[in-house]
Amino acid sequence: MLHRRLTQFFTLYAAGVGLLLAFKVALGLSDYVIPGPGEIWRTGQTYGAAYAAAVLNTLGVAVLGHGLSIVLAAAVAVIARLKDWIGGFIRTAAFNIQSYPIVAVAPILFILLGDGLATRLLISALICYFPLLLSFLGVFSEPVREIEHFYEATGRMTWRLQIKIRAFENLQKLTTVVVGSATLAMVGTIVAEFIAATAGIGYSIRIALYQSDLAKILVALLLIGVGTSLWLVLLEGLGAALQRRMERP
Amino acid sequence: MELEGQDIAYRYPNAAADLFEGLDFRIRGPGFHALFGPSGVGKSTLARLLSGSLAGQRGRLNARGMHRVLYTYNLERLPGWTTLREHFEETASASGRPRLETLLDTFDIRPLADARFPRLSLGQQNRANLVRYLLQEFDLLIMDESLANVDEATRHRILLRIKALFPERCFLYISHNVAEVARFCGDVLVLRGHPKRPPLVVVPGGDQREGAEPDPARLERAMLAIVHAA
Repeated sequence: MLHRRLTQFFTLYAAGVGLLLAFKVALGLSDYVIPGPGEIWRTGQTYGAAYAAAVLNTLGVAVLGHGLSIVLAAAVAVIARLKDWIGGFIRTAAFNIQSYPIVAVAPILFILLGDGLATRLLISALICYFPLLLSFLGVFSEPVREIEHFYEATGRMTWRLQIKIRAFENLQKLTTVVVGSATLAMVGTIVAEFIAATAGIGYSIRIALYQSDLAKILVALLLIGVGTSLWLVLLEGLGAALQRRMERP
Repeated sequence: MELEGQDIAYRYPNAAADLFEGLDFRIRGPGFHALFGPSGVGKSTLARLLSGSLAGQRGRLNARGMHRVLYTYNLERLPGWTTLREHFEETASASGRPRLETLLDTFDIRPLADARFPRLSLGQQNRANLVRYLLQEFDLLIMDESLANVDEATRHRILLRIKALFPERCFLYISHNVAEVARFCGDVLVLRGHPKRPPLVVVPGGDQREGAEPDPARLERAMLAIVHAA
């Protein structure tokens, strides 16, 4: 799983860098606009360790924000699966809010909370929250009649059991959604760091941007890709382990 | 105990016509009866109305001593996170628990007791599903194709054992197998499609018991009456 995901990423990254270098050669662009392979390599050697630490910092916030989103989305979806007015209200609100680009409210958070961990965490959590909520809502609202009928008929159904049945029956789907939203959390954190942070790889990229240093940005992108791939593989592994454990013969 | 229906009719929401109407019947317990009829005539719908898992019928349903009505159907699944035995033990009623070991043998489930539901064949799944219902408290158990995908010899043995193990309960067996309902069931409620009148007739079945041989003449009469009625 790790090998496959890293291979996919490195292939994509190499293709991207290759395309840039092709542009450089084709259009005769200077090293200032698009650095050559040697300069990218040297930048990697100089800034690699610092950027790796910055990626870990970003990843830490993203993991925290993602975890927060999962817990909140699951809790709200459990309430919103109810058929009464509160469930309907939450579902309608979620569908409407998710259609709005959450990243656009980032400046408001920056003004209210300033730069720092809280803003990064909140933006990260907000960006992956609504996709998670909608998926959880879909899973928790959909009855698994072939299993639930017995518990309903014998008066044994509880809300916990209902959630357990629906989550178990959709474990694969939930894992896919959680893994997919992990990338969103990373994106959210980096976006937050662009506008409101003094740490993290997004902050480092912002500085490189001000310096028009594409080599630094390419090194940062490589490390972001590796870090995100590792995290996604870990999440997929956890999902698969959970499924194996629940389905053991 | 008795469950009586008077002038029962039902129409699904947004449907243009009633699925059935004017049904009059009486299910007397204890006993092992059948609900028979062509596909789509409303057997499962009627069963769900009787069990209370579907509402909205017209007419009157009067229960006398038959209040705990359970409905089970052949597509049901047990949760995949526990073994069969764990599930049976967790969900059995206090009065049903002592029956567990007997039912495991009757239904040939004992060798599978430590397996999980998704690993079983369709026939094994249906048997396991029926076992857990027989561990419950009920006055009437409606079994909707509950022994589908089970081989004929095992099915017949199970039907006879159920009748022997639960002489004080009432069962309504839904099946398309005319020979089977004619042989094993007491009253066979034949639900007829439009435009036949009356929409439901009751035919006496063979009601074979464990240890007794089927009476060929009686069986033939019952089968002919059922086929004629349907």
